[in-house]
Amino acid sequence: MANPTVILLFIFAVRCRGISMWPQPRTMSWPVHSATPLSPSFAISSPYHRYLSVAANRYLKLIKTENYHPLVPQKVNLTNGPSLQTLIITVNNLAAPLTHGVNESYSLSIPMSGNRATLIAETAWGAMRGLETFRQLVWGKPRRVAAGVEVVDWPIYAYRGVMLDTSRNYYDVKDILRTIGAMSANKFNVFHWHITDAESFPVVLPSEPDLAAKGSYGSEFQYSPADISRIIEYGLQHGVRVLPEINAPAHTGSWAGAYPEIVTCSNMFWWPAGSNWADRLASQPGTGHLNPLNPKTYQVMKNVIDDVTEMFPDSFYHAGADEIIPGCWKADPLVQSYLAKNGTLSQLLELFVKSTLPYILSQNRTVVYWEDILLDSNIKVRSSLLPTEHVILHTWGNGPNNTKKVVSSGYRTIVSSSDFYFLDCGHGSFLGNNSQYDQPPFADQGKGGSWCSPFKTWQMIYNYDIAYNLTEEEAKLVLGGEAVLWSELADPEVLDPRLWPRASALAEVLWSGNRDEMGKKRYAAATDRLNEWRYRMVGRGVRAEPIQPRWCINNPGMCNTVHPFT
Amino acid sequence: MANPTVILLFIFAVRCSAISVWPQPRTMSWPVHSSTPLSPSFVISSPYHRYLFVAVNRYLQLIKTENYHPLVTPKVNPTNGPSLQALIITVKNLAAPLTHGVNESYSLNIPMSGNRATLIADTVWGAMRGLETFSQLVWGKPPRVAAGIEVVDWPIYAYRGVMLDTSRNYYDVKDILRTIGAMSANKLNVFHWHITDSHSFPVVLPSEPDLAAKGSYGSEFQYSPADISRIIEYGLQHGVRVLPEIDAPAHTGSWAGAYPEIVTCSNMFWWPAGSDWADRLASEPGTGHLNPLNPKTYQVMKNVIDDVTEMFPDSFYHAGADEIVPGCWKADPLVQSYLTKNGTLSQLLEMFVKSTLPYILSRNRTVVYWEDILLDSNIKVRASLLPTEHVILQTWNNGPNNTKKLVSSGYRTIVSSSEFYYLDCGHGSFLGNNSQYDQSPFTDQGNGGSWCGPFKTWQMIYNYDIAYNLTKEEAKLVLGGEVALWSELADPEVLDPRLWPRASALAEALWSGNRDEMGKKRYAAATDRLNEWRNRMVGRGVQAEPIQPRWCINNPGMCNTVHPFA
Repeated sequence: MANPTVILLFIFAVRCRGISMWPQPRTMSWPVHSATPLSPSFAISSPYHRYLSVAANRYLKLIKTENYHPLVPQKVNLTNGPSLQTLIITVNNLAAPLTHGVNESYSLSIPMSGNRATLIAETAWGAMRGLETFRQLVWGKPRRVAAGVEVVDWPIYAYRGVMLDTSRNYYDVKDILRTIGAMSANKFNVFHWHITDAESFPVVLPSEPDLAAKGSYGSEFQYSPADISRIIEYGLQHGVRVLPEINAPAHTGSWAGAYPEIVTCSNMFWWPAGSNWADRLASQPGTGHLNPLNPKTYQVMKNVIDDVTEMFPDSFYHAGADEIIPGCWKADPLVQSYLAKNGTLSQLLELFVKSTLPYILSQNRTVVYWEDILLDSNIKVRSSLLPTEHVILHTWGNGPNNTKKVVSSGYRTIVSSSDFYFLDCGHGSFLGNNSQYDQPPFADQGKGGSWCSPFKTWQMIYNYDIAYNLTEEEAKLVLGGEAVLWSELADPEVLDPRLWPRASALAEVLWSGNRDEMGKKRYAAATDRLNEWRYRMVGRGVRAEPIQPRWCINNPGMCNTVHPFT
Repeated sequence: MANPTVILLFIFAVRCSAISVWPQPRTMSWPVHSSTPLSPSFVISSPYHRYLFVAVNRYLQLIKTENYHPLVTPKVNPTNGPSLQALIITVKNLAAPLTHGVNESYSLNIPMSGNRATLIADTVWGAMRGLETFSQLVWGKPPRVAAGIEVVDWPIYAYRGVMLDTSRNYYDVKDILRTIGAMSANKLNVFHWHITDSHSFPVVLPSEPDLAAKGSYGSEFQYSPADISRIIEYGLQHGVRVLPEIDAPAHTGSWAGAYPEIVTCSNMFWWPAGSDWADRLASEPGTGHLNPLNPKTYQVMKNVIDDVTEMFPDSFYHAGADEIVPGCWKADPLVQSYLTKNGTLSQLLEMFVKSTLPYILSRNRTVVYWEDILLDSNIKVRASLLPTEHVILQTWNNGPNNTKKLVSSGYRTIVSSSEFYYLDCGHGSFLGNNSQYDQSPFTDQGNGGSWCGPFKTWQMIYNYDIAYNLTKEEAKLVLGGEVALWSELADPEVLDPRLWPRASALAEALWSGNRDEMGKKRYAAATDRLNEWRNRMVGRGVQAEPIQPRWCINNPGMCNTVHPFA
């Protein structure tokens, strides 16, 4: 038997003994682990900025009330120096708006002795990142703050997102706000709001009020323009963009409540008995595609685009365009006669794109489409119709292969690989009457009914490299990544544990990466820090899942495995 | 393409359009779906009984305040008859204690017109089951109740349990009480409390206070004798037995805080570098087995058994005995010299059993052990030491095969097959530094690091037949089933969604089965009822997971699949 003492020493040596941060900053120098008391009259001084001022006040309040009690006692020397009186924020460019690629860098300096800490950022948004870092350096009761620490920090990827599907199940505004708050604490910067789908149309659009009136789950399951403003404002106060998605032309069954005439195959059974899978009408229950051959479609689309670009200031517009199913269009008589005249379904999609994309671009938007629009095996458009300077493709199929395909075609890309970033996976199937489950007990359970099983653990998310196998030039087109929560099997009751702390794993990978200074994957050290971060999030009101028994936290290293996986 | 109209008709026909009850009663006759108003002065009259009395008051309050709003509007005719004034409870045998096999049958009659409903039960515990059924037949604001209905109901299996592990992570008393309440609403009747394990010893035993003082996660993570009384009392008020498990001789690392001398291999690294899996010291991180060769072990065990049988009135005592790992005993010098004198590890276990089992039996308990004690491939005892009249074995491995092995050896069995009933499965691995996750993105993800993946969906649980492949005589020895929540990756933040509504699926399978009157698996109809039941549980404060998008609920049958699984 190996000598356990030797092993233990090895394990303890790799553990971080100071205050832990999440996401880990790019550079953090803290040569002597000391701390200084935070003065009871501690103040944050910041230049006036509509959103930063709100954030500074919020952080001041949080810093003075959080009293975080670290799970593992910190090995930090308390100095006898003066208590910290202020954090002085300096912002070089107060005018920079919150937009893709905005400078989020900051440097934070908390002196070993002296009563002022300084936070210098290029923009208000970088200052918010620095405020979060500062807050994570404060703990205890009475409060103390790490001293003699220098952080210089900036993200690897400009796009760091979380997607929430509010169509399959509805989430209250308060759930969305809580999510945006938790995102900000994780230095995420894009809330991708998959607002509409075939199941429901919850957003009330002033020019097309019937879409929600007849397509939502009911009046208590709608987002009013005031709700949307509130969410966008909250995002700005937290440095989180709100990117709206109105998915079309597929996933639009809910539009048929208001406009049955523009939706093909609506309210039909999704996969008729006796038909092949190839002849299904939708990728899952909930049928309906917009009809590219009906001029009325474009009248409605233009109103929708007008309202959405009016309500959502973000310079990106997500136009969906995933999972166009041949059977749904083919169910329509207009389409049937079009096809009889040698038209193709891809031509129909091109017609739809030609009639909508220029209009969205005319509203000064960059358009994000799901990758299907270019990569679908059946129905897709030529890349010449998707100008690379205006179109970003959002990849989700086939892991690194599709990322490679998209960037090697010259497109900027956002990575949401279902193999790694789909947070809904691994919880079974929502289909009723599913004889898959009526098997003898010895049948292989396989994926347990979830097409994208297994459950994506935080480690899988943490270890995935979204630039895998790309050239340096190609990698530049990867804007970032996004964790995705589809809501077939999620709703407000399970929102927090589905998102957290798994989205935190993504947050760190995209902000500062998953490797230490030596280039080694830091998954062991990350476990310890993520434990602290998870409990800290719980204390802040986010019901994140645990990642280990508490015993593992109390006994650092003892729950590791030192055996290479074979 | 098939005619969708025909399909839709077929689907609607199988849907229950009335009020749904979970678990479905064995027999329920409601020829005309009518309802009658519940009088504002509605009362429940019952004979005095310490626990039933509390339950009656609780249900009266619930019935008057729940105002359940069904997701699908029930097709029920409101009668113009008099409102229901009273539910009259009659109990034949008020003295019957809550014990295994107690008669839980009841019959409930709510007349079509007339102001009194009647609930007749053999025991108070059956009356509590009937009260729950009655509460589920009430809905709306102002409340209405189903009328002209006759329910005669009794369970298939006498043992219907939920196991919670409070050692790996701690749960507050309020979490346990909420769980017992939800169990009662699902007609589950045994809360199997896996109190202690290697990770922590949270129960304060008056004769051995050091076990918790030095083995719990801290003073705020302990169950005092008063807490235990409260939990047991709450269980009795809900018709739920509290079955304590003190796992031994393995899974006892936490005992070493108080008594390092009686625990072998304690505080060692669980799987030393360079050693084979066969030479690990524990089944997972957290080492320690009680030493059968140290007389002190039995002194402590006797005190523990005394206290536990004193505090927990249930006639069952769960003594654990799972996962004895050779390496842990072999690490001990006493054991080493025993083995060199041709002793075996199985003989050691027999010594432990001979020194503890008779003592537990002397406290008038039936002892439950995990199956390992008889079926482990390395370390087990002879059946002759485990008298079938006093010992019940709980099976968890190898699906129906191990159930068959146990009952064919004459043992009564509780089924907790990990392939169907382990609610923790499918959420990854808690090991730190796990290079399993440091793989190329094209590596097969397998079960995502969960040894018992995939996630056990409600459908898998619902469809499993615990008497599969047994003769009629053998099946009589199957007392029932139990879902188990091990807490490596669970704690209070995720307790509700881990348990519910999946434990509800078990509840129905064990109470009234998973087949309709024609012998067909009723998983399609169960989906619709479980949606309502999940929604009702959420309204009652239990954060159960959703099983479908709301759209599926609003569009009955449309989310079904009509294709046999291939």
